[in-house]
Amino acid sequence: MRNALGREVPETRAGKPTRPFMGPFASTPEGTKAARRQKTIGRSEDKLLPSLDAAIEATGLSDGMTISFHHSFRDGDRLVNAVLDSCARKGIKDLRLAPTALFPVHAPVVEHIRNGVVSRIEGSMNGPVGAFVSQGGKLREPAVLRSHGGRWRAIEAGDIDIDVAFIAAPQADRYGNACGICGKTPCGPISFSTVDAQYAGKTVVVTNDLAPYPVHPFEIQQGWTDYVVAVDEIGDPGSIASGTLRLTKSPTRLHIARLAADAVIASGMLKDGFSFQGGAGGISLAATKYVGDAMKEAGIVGDFAMGGATTLLVDMLREGLVRAILDGQAFDLDAIASLRDDPAHLIMDPGQYANYDSRGCSTYMLDVAFLGATEVDLAFNVNVNTHSDGQLLHGIGGHQDVAAGAQVTMITIPTLRGRLPVIVDEVTTVTTPGDVVDVIVTERGVAVNPARDDLRERFTTAGLPVKTLEEIKAEADRFIQPPRKPVFSDEIVALIEWRDGTVIDAVRRVEGWQ
Amino acid sequence: MSQVQIGTENKGDCIVRVERGDAVIRIDAKPLVEPGLRHLAEQTLDRCKAAQASVEVKDFGALDYVVTARLETALRESGVGERCDTAHGGIDREPTAADRLRRTRLYVPGNNPRLQVGIELHGADCILLDLEDSVPPSEKVSSRVLVRHLLWTVAFDEVWVRINPLATYGEEDLVEILPGRPHGICLPKAESAEDVVHLSQRLAELESANGVAVGTTKIMPIVETAKGVLHAEQIAAADPRVVVMAFGAEDFTRDVGSKRTRESLLFARSQLVAAARSAGIQASDTVFADVDNREALLEETQHVRELGFDGKGAINPRQIAVIHGGFAPTPAEIEHAKRVVSVAEEAEAQGIGAIAIGGKMIDRPVLERARRTLMLAQRMSAGRGS
Repeated sequence: MRNALGREVPETRAGKPTRPFMGPFASTPEGTKAARRQKTIGRSEDKLLPSLDAAIEATGLSDGMTISFHHSFRDGDRLVNAVLDSCARKGIKDLRLAPTALFPVHAPVVEHIRNGVVSRIEGSMNGPVGAFVSQGGKLREPAVLRSHGGRWRAIEAGDIDIDVAFIAAPQADRYGNACGICGKTPCGPISFSTVDAQYAGKTVVVTNDLAPYPVHPFEIQQGWTDYVVAVDEIGDPGSIASGTLRLTKSPTRLHIARLAADAVIASGMLKDGFSFQGGAGGISLAATKYVGDAMKEAGIVGDFAMGGATTLLVDMLREGLVRAILDGQAFDLDAIASLRDDPAHLIMDPGQYANYDSRGCSTYMLDVAFLGATEVDLAFNVNVNTHSDGQLLHGIGGHQDVAAGAQVTMITIPTLRGRLPVIVDEVTTVTTPGDVVDVIVTERGVAVNPARDDLRERFTTAGLPVKTLEEIKAEADRFIQPPRKPVFSDEIVALIEWRDGTVIDAVRRVEGWQ
Repeated sequence: MSQVQIGTENKGDCIVRVERGDAVIRIDAKPLVEPGLRHLAEQTLDRCKAAQASVEVKDFGALDYVVTARLETALRESGVGERCDTAHGGIDREPTAADRLRRTRLYVPGNNPRLQVGIELHGADCILLDLEDSVPPSEKVSSRVLVRHLLWTVAFDEVWVRINPLATYGEEDLVEILPGRPHGICLPKAESAEDVVHLSQRLAELESANGVAVGTTKIMPIVETAKGVLHAEQIAAADPRVVVMAFGAEDFTRDVGSKRTRESLLFARSQLVAAARSAGIQASDTVFADVDNREALLEETQHVRELGFDGKGAINPRQIAVIHGGFAPTPAEIEHAKRVVSVAEEAEAQGIGAIAIGGKMIDRPVLERARRTLMLAQRMSAGRGS
């Protein structure tokens, strides 16, 4: 069937009916939330188990079950591989993997798919696992990709039924309180897991720093936790711990950031009470810095900035340029220290931040957001999941949630990546519909969604290089021969859900080239 | 003849290997771009009249002009092809006004595609594609070709090519570059009127040969030696093609054995401005090497503006906004200029000759300076100049 964007999506997945995307704010939830079984753990029971193996046995994990993880250690995570290796040794098969995200460090998952330990995936795949799944015929049912808010919603709705949640915790007590910003190897908030911990059949906290009761702030609470395991290593905070913030030096990227900041200034939104989301990408960081400079110069105090937090946002908080940071992920040590020490630097879980089926999302309070893309098309649709060659290489992250929420959503992109155009006639995969994308900022000019004449007028008055997307595309295309396109088979390797649980697009196996 | 290899593995570049032999094209690239590169290679072989070439292209994200330039160079170096015809290339480049705004001339290395892409987008008044100091001798040949193809691809507002001194690689630079029709040629180490006249004569010959009206190509001498500074007056007045004269402090301080300070450069700078003004042309100051020191760059820009310079060199796009800021008239200057112009226009309408503001005579130079200030101010507010 075709959804509201005209994308062909399947009517069923794994035997269950799907819902087609109807529009960014069209669906209304019905019924009640799912819930886990009741259970009581008495005074005398000890939750602490001697090993991961023992914990896997205690949970009763068996063939066909669903296990989940968070990605706060990003590419330094050790837990996913350790659990799957253990499952493989125990001969457990046919698992459904429901992580918040997989990274290149999880390349061994490919082997576990080959040998049948993992047969289904619902979660973001950054890198090799995505590339492997793209080849088709690897999973028993199409993978499902969801946004941060979409995943939270799906778990609450019972769309994902997690049997065992494994939660890597940089610090925990033996009663199951756990914290991501404490301990020997803090990785930043682990609040992506709070929904897993509350809805999974069994919740296992795995820590490399077992500390006296009560560990706090308790992002993961004792009342949700079935078992606690102490291990030597859960993850290498690597880039998080050692990373010093480096602003891009690329003239093109800085130019795009400058234009994006100028567009924010021209939008008229930069005044007291301003709020914005700044990611950790090169262009986004530089744009955030320029906006901060403008706020300082004009004496503007913003209400809040939304993270992934970096030194840059922390400095803005310390200088009083924003009154608060709402933060789901930390990208450097400064951000982690600030989360511990500054009461105005708040941990925000994806339910608070982005859940469509809720009574309010923080993204809806945003004035401006800077986001990226692998492709953008002439209808302002954005792809962040696949490359032009059809390979599924990235997760959605918060892209849909933030784009849908912010009053002005800006996509900051270069027009060319090597010989490949970023602005195309039609995106390979729609992640975020053009309806919720207001401005495309490129080094060759700024394009405004025709629905936002107000912004176009303001930008033009301010002397910004306003062009149509067609004009920008034509300028960039002069430098390259048109690339050919992949030919897709009918086989669907993954579904892209919109944040409300409807299917916005399907990723198909690449069969050849035009 | 053995195999010739041109290009690098850097992002945005490609490596092309050519040897005489059966016409075979091998493309080493991602499947999406393979057919496009093959088509481009075939087209280039055709344009270079190369029939007997075995070609291999390994792509690292090179744009079309880069691939074509690398292939042309390799074909010619291996003796199986000629210079590309202009049939597919060419920007119809209109000459620019002699006295246009030239606050910034941005130096761009002629050998590095990654630093060339999009360089026209940063708001510099002039782009200066460099074949001299930023290009090592081993890359002089390939860089000339690369720069010509870039000139054929991008419609710059005003684009110059800095050639090597005519006594070294400059002559070959000119022959290769002129079909690209840059607005002007930048002549480094200009030391005498003869240097300029010699260049002008060669330009005239090459303009005729390339079907360009004689006299179209401008000249920017760069004065950067003791001798050049002492001869600045004759260099500035040597030829009508000269519209702007630039100062190069790095070479100058080395030549005279001074340290680079405001004081040590003051004589040369003032000499240059006086020479330029006496010849009715513009003066452009030297570059500032410390890219991250915006404050010092702004100070230096304001200083040379006070000395009378019209512009300054930039080596990084990040410096452009700072330099333009330094050349921007202050609000007080704009206010004063507006008063001068309005009083003068009123007087003219009433047929009054001599006029004054606050007891100060408004004569023609004052009026002209006021008009220029307003023009600058208008230009600054129109283009944000990033």
